[in-house]
Amino acid sequence: MGEILATLCELKNQGRRLVGCFPLYPPLELLHSFGLTPVTLWGLSSEVTDLTKSDRHLQNYTCHVARCLTEFVLGDAHALLDALFMYNACDTLRNLPEIIEEGLKEEGARLLPMFRLHVPAVAKERTGVRAYLKDRITSMVCDLEEFTGRPFSPETFLASIDLYRIQRELCAEIEDAACRGTVPFPTFVRILQLAHFLPVEAHIELLDAEIPEEDDLPPHDLRHPGVMVSGILPPPRQLIETMEASGLRVVANDIASLKRSLGYNPAPTADPGEYYCDFYLNHYPCSTLLASSDRRIETIRRAVHDSSAEGLIFFGEKFCEYEYFEFPHLGGMLRAQGTQTLFLELTGQTGEGLDAPRNRMEAFAEMLKGQAGS
Amino acid sequence: MPTESPGGGFRKSPSGKRLSSLMVQDYMALHQKASEGAFVVWIAIIVPAEIFAGFANVVYGVPESHAAMCAGKGVGSLQCEKAERMGYSSDLCSYARIDLGTAFDNGKDSPTFGLPRPHLLVSNTNNCSLLVKWFDIYHRVWGVPHFTLDIPFSYESQKPRDFDYIVTQFADLIATIEEMSGQRFEIEKVREAASLSCDALREWKRFIGLAAGRPSGITAFDSFVQMAPFLTSRGTRHLAEHYRMLADETEEQVKSGIFPVPAERYRLLWDNIAPWHQLRKMSSRLSELGANITCASYTYCIGSKEGEYALHEFDGGDPFTWLARLQNFSVCPHGMRLRANAMKEVIGINGIDGVVFASNRSCKVYSLMQMDQMRRVRDELGIPCVMIDVDHADERKYSEEAAFTRLEALLEMIDAGRAGSIAPA
Repeated sequence: MGEILATLCELKNQGRRLVGCFPLYPPLELLHSFGLTPVTLWGLSSEVTDLTKSDRHLQNYTCHVARCLTEFVLGDAHALLDALFMYNACDTLRNLPEIIEEGLKEEGARLLPMFRLHVPAVAKERTGVRAYLKDRITSMVCDLEEFTGRPFSPETFLASIDLYRIQRELCAEIEDAACRGTVPFPTFVRILQLAHFLPVEAHIELLDAEIPEEDDLPPHDLRHPGVMVSGILPPPRQLIETMEASGLRVVANDIASLKRSLGYNPAPTADPGEYYCDFYLNHYPCSTLLASSDRRIETIRRAVHDSSAEGLIFFGEKFCEYEYFEFPHLGGMLRAQGTQTLFLELTGQTGEGLDAPRNRMEAFAEMLKGQAGS
Repeated sequence: MPTESPGGGFRKSPSGKRLSSLMVQDYMALHQKASEGAFVVWIAIIVPAEIFAGFANVVYGVPESHAAMCAGKGVGSLQCEKAERMGYSSDLCSYARIDLGTAFDNGKDSPTFGLPRPHLLVSNTNNCSLLVKWFDIYHRVWGVPHFTLDIPFSYESQKPRDFDYIVTQFADLIATIEEMSGQRFEIEKVREAASLSCDALREWKRFIGLAAGRPSGITAFDSFVQMAPFLTSRGTRHLAEHYRMLADETEEQVKSGIFPVPAERYRLLWDNIAPWHQLRKMSSRLSELGANITCASYTYCIGSKEGEYALHEFDGGDPFTWLARLQNFSVCPHGMRLRANAMKEVIGINGIDGVVFASNRSCKVYSLMQMDQMRRVRDELGIPCVMIDVDHADERKYSEEAAFTRLEALLEMIDAGRAGSIAPA
């Protein structure tokens, strides 16, 4: 049994009601305020050893994220989940609710209630956007009241907001430490990934324990080239090891399941509609939030500048078209300002399948070092 | 269009010739008006172009339609390669790659010299959200403003709140064009355009309805080719007139006993975008096998509400109501149950023997429900199905032999089913 599935089993044994959410930015506070435990079904490749069930429903040109998600839910996870939540992100994911339902029927499994949300894909300044999103959130609150049998409580909602605020602030703190080199980057990645599967209270405890009072490690050797990393998912452990062994230090990240997930804290309010208008319409820019595209360019440019990154490594998830449409322009923009870029395409490879990206990363590191020395 | 050739295949009919002339005129007029100072908009295909009729001097280009034309004329892969050399992955939609390749090479190798440079980009999220990313590239590189119509996906029939949200966005779009172009909007002209579009769609439905005859009066390939002006001439009298003549002429041919596949033994349905680079080859080779793909979800959905087949009529009232209600029609913006409803209806009306699910690497949003959809059709309706791999516009990703091996297997399954159904117990 994988680590995530084991975690879900344990949570279930504690009597928790689990809501499997996708993609990365679900309304966690709202679900939590109804006494539910949201788990974000993202980055499940380590849990999935084969794609047999998924392959009955999804063609092989579907991204690995969606295939693993489907396999995970149709495998053992569906028995642990009480409901699913999804919002519109990419075209693949918007097709998944009915595909998963078909899969569950085929498995003879209990069908899971599905909460759906449409997050506007246009700028917040446009007419009717806020009203529409608020209306959707109000409907969701009603659905959750019916599902849980308890009324919405503004006080509980504010308490949930507070917990997630603390979590995000601690995540920012550990990220700072990782960028300085005083928390190892692999540790940072592991801890932040757990944010998606652990109850927020448990994750806060973990963060408290892991953030050093005083820096555990000496800071980065500044002679090593600093890089920013970007992608839908963090690179596999083996590539992180290669990055470190090659003498690259990660000084900033734009990984969707790390920085982009935790990079924005909306102002507290007891009105869920207001809160999620702020959350989604001012969210940390992401390729999957279409209205944030213009801000994203500037955010990346600024992050590279502020962190003094000499290079940016894109970890491309094969078939993630949102990301792939952006890479050429982003890469060109960065190169024009003197930042080197490396694009690596990944699709759940392990072992020898990672040899090629490893080699390219080593070559990239050599190039950056050579550039620094010249 | 139907052909008089006894063996089937393509021969340009009067409607075919008129279509060519219509398309040439559309593209020439677009370039001409743009050069004379018209306000140029690039749109995604489902953007309700009738709205632009409300302005005195707004013209629109349709990159997807242009890309389909490039693929049909044999230059799709060439344009794709140009985009790939700029760093765009070959896994991206081939329409997008063709368009990027063409646009950034200033229209070179395009049968229409590309499209005139836009003043405004209007994408939407209903057919596929990727259009937003695709148009964003021009927004960044050229600095052209980009307006997105956000159309919520329909798992069930379009919800009133989604409808209201769409109508609000139409108003924003109009205000944007007024401000940018300095032109005044007149709703009466849009009402007239909507009325003409509805007339055209009524004729369109009459035309594709001829697939119900035995043998079928048309092939799906006819509908693929003939849908082109629906994308470039919406809301015009000449479109309505063209479709009226198309339907009249096809009915006449049926009455005269002229059919595209006279020896039709297998009546098939196609699910996905047309394989633009294969229209002639595929239809001819199928015809030789006595098979006719008589209808396609890609074209029977036009003019209907999501999950339906019948025309959604314009009542002559508020054109925005009609346009907004049709925003989920085009298969991709609605879910599996709705897709299945429409397909079941069409299978029944047209007496379909088998369904070809074209799994299209370039259109994941259309394709990713097909494996389940195929099981539904096979198990619930008892109709044999096959899945073939295609790419709608990049010929390099298509293998004719692999596709036909499967298509022939489908015909064998149909035969086996027929033999079984008449075999003595």
